[in-house]
Amino acid sequence: MASRGRTIAAVALGRLSRAVVEARLGLVRGHARRAIFARHARLACEALGPAFIKLGQLASVRPDVFAPETVFEMEQLQDRVPAVPAEDIEAIVRHELGRPVQDLFAEFRAEPVATASIAQVHRAELARDYRPVQGALLPAGTPLAVKVVRPGVEASIEADLAVARRWAARLEKLSRLARWRPAALLEEFEHTLASELDLRNEGRVADRFARDFSDDARVVVPRVVWPLTTRRILVTEFVEGWRLNDLGEAERAGIDARGLAAHGAEVFMRQVLVHGRYHADLHPANLFVTPDGRICYLDFGIVGRTTPSQRIAIAQVLVATVYGDADRALRYSRELGLEIPQHQEAAVRARVVELMQRTLSAPGRADVRGFALGFLEMLADFRIPIPSGYGLLVKALVTVEGVARAIYPDIDIVESARPFATRLIAAQLARPERLRERLPAALSAALRELAA
Amino acid sequence: MTDFVRFLAAWALLHESADEGWKAAIARGRAQSPGDAEAGPDAFVDGLAALVESEKERLKQELAQQGDQGHATRGEDAALAAQVDAVRFELAELRGRIESLQASIDALVAQKGD
Repeated sequence: MASRGRTIAAVALGRLSRAVVEARLGLVRGHARRAIFARHARLACEALGPAFIKLGQLASVRPDVFAPETVFEMEQLQDRVPAVPAEDIEAIVRHELGRPVQDLFAEFRAEPVATASIAQVHRAELARDYRPVQGALLPAGTPLAVKVVRPGVEASIEADLAVARRWAARLEKLSRLARWRPAALLEEFEHTLASELDLRNEGRVADRFARDFSDDARVVVPRVVWPLTTRRILVTEFVEGWRLNDLGEAERAGIDARGLAAHGAEVFMRQVLVHGRYHADLHPANLFVTPDGRICYLDFGIVGRTTPSQRIAIAQVLVATVYGDADRALRYSRELGLEIPQHQEAAVRARVVELMQRTLSAPGRADVRGFALGFLEMLADFRIPIPSGYGLLVKALVTVEGVARAIYPDIDIVESARPFATRLIAAQLARPERLRERLPAALSAALRELAA
Repeated sequence: MTDFVRFLAAWALLHESADEGWKAAIARGRAQSPGDAEAGPDAFVDGLAALVESEKERLKQELAQQGDQGHATRGEDAALAAQVDAVRFELAELRGRIESLQASIDALVAQKGD
């Protein structure tokens, strides 16, 4: 325990001192300095193993807590580890399900198809027909993906968390770091991690997601085989295809890449703004494109949620953003908890207008990532706290663009988002309660015009 | 003008507009004497609200006379089908959880046997 603490301290301090030197002892300012520290934080997380890799991934979905440079840097985390020998994985399967793999599957391949710090995935074949929670029957012989939590992961994470708890308690006492509320953040992280280590949670989310998009023939969600799924094992159907980061010109040529990219963006916006459940760890490695041109979602370990009132406000900000309306974007941002002091309003508005013109309205393709990063930096410059719902919106926009461009590099996501955003607002306005709310005012306004 | 009022009445009937402000405007409009609606925008709105309300009642009667029950039934059927679908999904979800728990129990029993 103490030696692990020393290891963590050595790596953290080593990276910190390199970052300080690289930032010329603080002479490098602003964005450049934050980017240097963020890069070294990522490298430290990669060096320290599963708990810290997960911590970095959590940071990448919390722009309300971490600097924008850290948020986007942590997206680059490399989670590559050597594979666990097949016999160790088979031993876990036997322990979890009480029988050897030969009895459970028609075939089980020893060579893993994916390895990460928490779990690794093997191919297998279904031995008996199975009716999943959502969708058609899976016949015997169906190719399966068997995701197994690596041996010893829980213990090593628990050991790291014990060290982290002691540090968090100390950091709480430092006034400069107290505003980050390290103990509360750590508690939230532990909760997220505990949920992710129980693979049944991921299976349940996958089923819900499949139901949310059961009306969309272009969305594929691997179906869960529950009699072979436990806390440490998740068995789903295996979907053939290309990961987005492996999608080459040849693959793109065989599918309607542009249509699929626009559709992928719309699917994500539907998750955030319609269903209120969204895949919060959406990066090109967690998405497949099938040979028949459909999008397959994988790895539902980190899931975010939006409340109905958040959804309305986020939709309004989204519409304002795609139409370049800074006033409207800031007005609805307040409903998401963004508090702009009155004396800064004019300056913030001017910066947002300038940012929109530079990144979204400029000739050529809109740059949503540039807009998001610039917006978060602007809030940091004005020392305006970022509410969590707001951070989510900004991240969502960047994610949508990243995913869509992985499929079709030339896509203009702002142009693609317009029809969906407009339909969404129209649907919100057409609700009877909203109409009733607005009708008297609308009629009075119309009649004032007529009488004028 | 009649078509416009009828359109508003159809809209009001569809959404059953009946908030307090709307009701008050109808009451004020009904109390108006001929020519009062020209006294200004607010008076005009009150008069129009009363007109729309009476047109809405007429529409209601027409629909009732036509005995058009089919539409309502279709709506109820769709709502019921959606509810059944939601319950069916929750039941399937529950089945999945039970199957997973059963697998864990079987494993524990097998370990005990070993």
